[in-house]
Amino acid sequence: MVSDSDARFIEIENVRLAFGSRRVFDSLDCRLRKGGTHLLLGGSGTGKSTMLRMIGGLQRPDSGEVRVAGENLASKSESELGEIRKGIGMLFQNGALLDSMSVADNVGLPLREHTKQSRDEIHERVAEVLRSVGLLADVEPLLPRELSGGMLRRVAFARAIVMQPEIVLCDEPFSGLDPLNVTRIEELLMTLNRELGLTIVVTSHHMASSLRMADQMILLRDGGCITGTPEELADHDDADVKEFLGEDGRAYLARLHELQDRGEA
Amino acid sequence: MQSNSTLDLIVGLFVLVGLAAIAYLSLQVGGLEVGAGEKIVLRATFDDIGGLSVRAPVRIAGVKIGQVSAIDLDDDLRAEVALEVESNLDLSIDSSAAIRTSGLLGDQFISVELGGEDEVLVDGEEFAFTESALSLDKLIGRFVHDAGVDD
Amino acid sequence: MTALVRQLGSTTSRLIEGLGRIGNFALALTAALPKPPTRFGFFIRALYDAGVLSVALICLSGFTVGMVLGLQLYTTLTRFGAEEGLGAVVGLSLVRELGPVVTGLLVTGRAGSAITAEIGAMKATEQLDGLRMMAINPIHFVAMPRALALTVAMPLLNALFIVFSIAGAYAIGVSLQGLDGGVFLSGLESAVRFTDDVDQSLLKSLVFGMLLGLVATYKGHACQPDAAGVARATTSTVVTASVCILLADYVITALWSV
Repeated sequence: MVSDSDARFIEIENVRLAFGSRRVFDSLDCRLRKGGTHLLLGGSGTGKSTMLRMIGGLQRPDSGEVRVAGENLASKSESELGEIRKGIGMLFQNGALLDSMSVADNVGLPLREHTKQSRDEIHERVAEVLRSVGLLADVEPLLPRELSGGMLRRVAFARAIVMQPEIVLCDEPFSGLDPLNVTRIEELLMTLNRELGLTIVVTSHHMASSLRMADQMILLRDGGCITGTPEELADHDDADVKEFLGEDGRAYLARLHELQDRGEA
Repeated sequence: MQSNSTLDLIVGLFVLVGLAAIAYLSLQVGGLEVGAGEKIVLRATFDDIGGLSVRAPVRIAGVKIGQVSAIDLDDDLRAEVALEVESNLDLSIDSSAAIRTSGLLGDQFISVELGGEDEVLVDGEEFAFTESALSLDKLIGRFVHDAGVDD
Repeated sequence: MTALVRQLGSTTSRLIEGLGRIGNFALALTAALPKPPTRFGFFIRALYDAGVLSVALICLSGFTVGMVLGLQLYTTLTRFGAEEGLGAVVGLSLVRELGPVVTGLLVTGRAGSAITAEIGAMKATEQLDGLRMMAINPIHFVAMPRALALTVAMPLLNALFIVFSIAGAYAIGVSLQGLDGGVFLSGLESAVRFTDDVDQSLLKSLVFGMLLGLVATYKGHACQPDAAGVARATTSTVVTASVCILLADYVITALWSV
């Protein structure tokens, strides 16, 4: 059985947030358990990225608490947040790699800043983590602008996991990618979750992979959210959920379970 | 971090050139003295300093040996001028300090004339002999007055 | 009537808020000064971008300004029969005022705007957030090297400007107007002193560099994270920094003669 602290590893309590006159969250409550894969879903403007940023401490709520491993981020100073962030890796939608530095320097940056590893050790680790995302050493000297969309995403991913964080936050990791790269990233996330026990939080529009990956789906709407496993949401009565999941979603799930039962998925 | 040695070289060159320009302006143009020797402060009292101001040069035989560092009134309400000069000069205690004008209408400065005694002035001592500034208008006034008297 | 008062109140409080934000930013910048070796590479790079790449502009402008000064002042001085004072007048006006101020304005336009645009673009593409998520302070990492580079480059560029201007005035005075080169230079050297002239010039350019460094990096950091926001911030840097430089020039000049 999951311990109580693990069940409330990432906790959002009674959060309100507005940007000027636009209200984003109104008493948002949510719990994400440790070691789970959590999908933040919803239409444009419902606040998926904002919620992700709140978990990373980049956005403070107007009121309420955002807790990671029991620590309330809203009350922390930048340097205190820094300590917490060393255990979090974030993948931004456009990679957010430093455009004046090479791939190798970008991926190795956290190591150079926060560890006392030697040049060679860092080089080793960078090569290793690039391999794990399916990239060869010949990308190392390239600049971000010389990379394709898929490669850029994967390099950013490598940077996010190079310090072996406990939590990985991904903002729209599948958007704008071809199906092959979508599968690649999906598999990477699943591996990190299943084999290393990392807690994954992803925002996405991509229904199919969401259904495949999620332990918990969090559907944002009206300033709040509805949560549940894919199966729970498939059977949910709520009109919004029904509309979001759609016929295709439910059919897909049914097919998925069918294949799983037959041991083929 | 990629260290581009060409970049470092160019930046280093830039800094050197910039510093050279600063050095030229400071030393050659501005007349900054670097590694200047020790200075001592001597005093001189005058009835009239005329247009003498702080930082006016102190010269011997036309060569600058220091500058005026302060001008005050002493208890007798005469002008007490502090002169900062090089310490290695050995100015005899009967040397004189006079206020002169450079050129006819130029800035005023202190001209020091050496005396003959063996003993020298040390830090803090006062010039025994001083000559106040010649006031041009007083001179003209006297000339006109004298000329008038002759008539 | 009350609406006007309320408007005044809100504008004032926003102004004070803004000053507070830039003040906090300035404090963060100074706190970032003792920096680890990795940052030094960034400082060198920033010094290249702000300093070396401005050299051509500064030297060309300097020489041109010198030529204009030589031309203008010579004709004016001739009216008073004081042509021989050209070196002195050129020297004093350049060293005390024209050098630091014109250099400051030129560097603001060239390097200041570029830095704001660069940092603004980084903010818009979430690179600054990326740094924060790696527990790296973007003010230390991005702003500090650039602000420091501007502070260091400004006095150096100022000196270059003045030297080239003197050369320009010399060229005009001597070759075009027939002034004796030696007279020009000796007039220059006797009129300009290190204390009160050159040191004032250096202090001014140092202060201008610091002001520009603060404004340019702050505006980049604080801009709206989209293309329009970056463009606005860039223009704002040039305007704000220019005004600050001119005001600071007055303040330093006034206080110096106290």
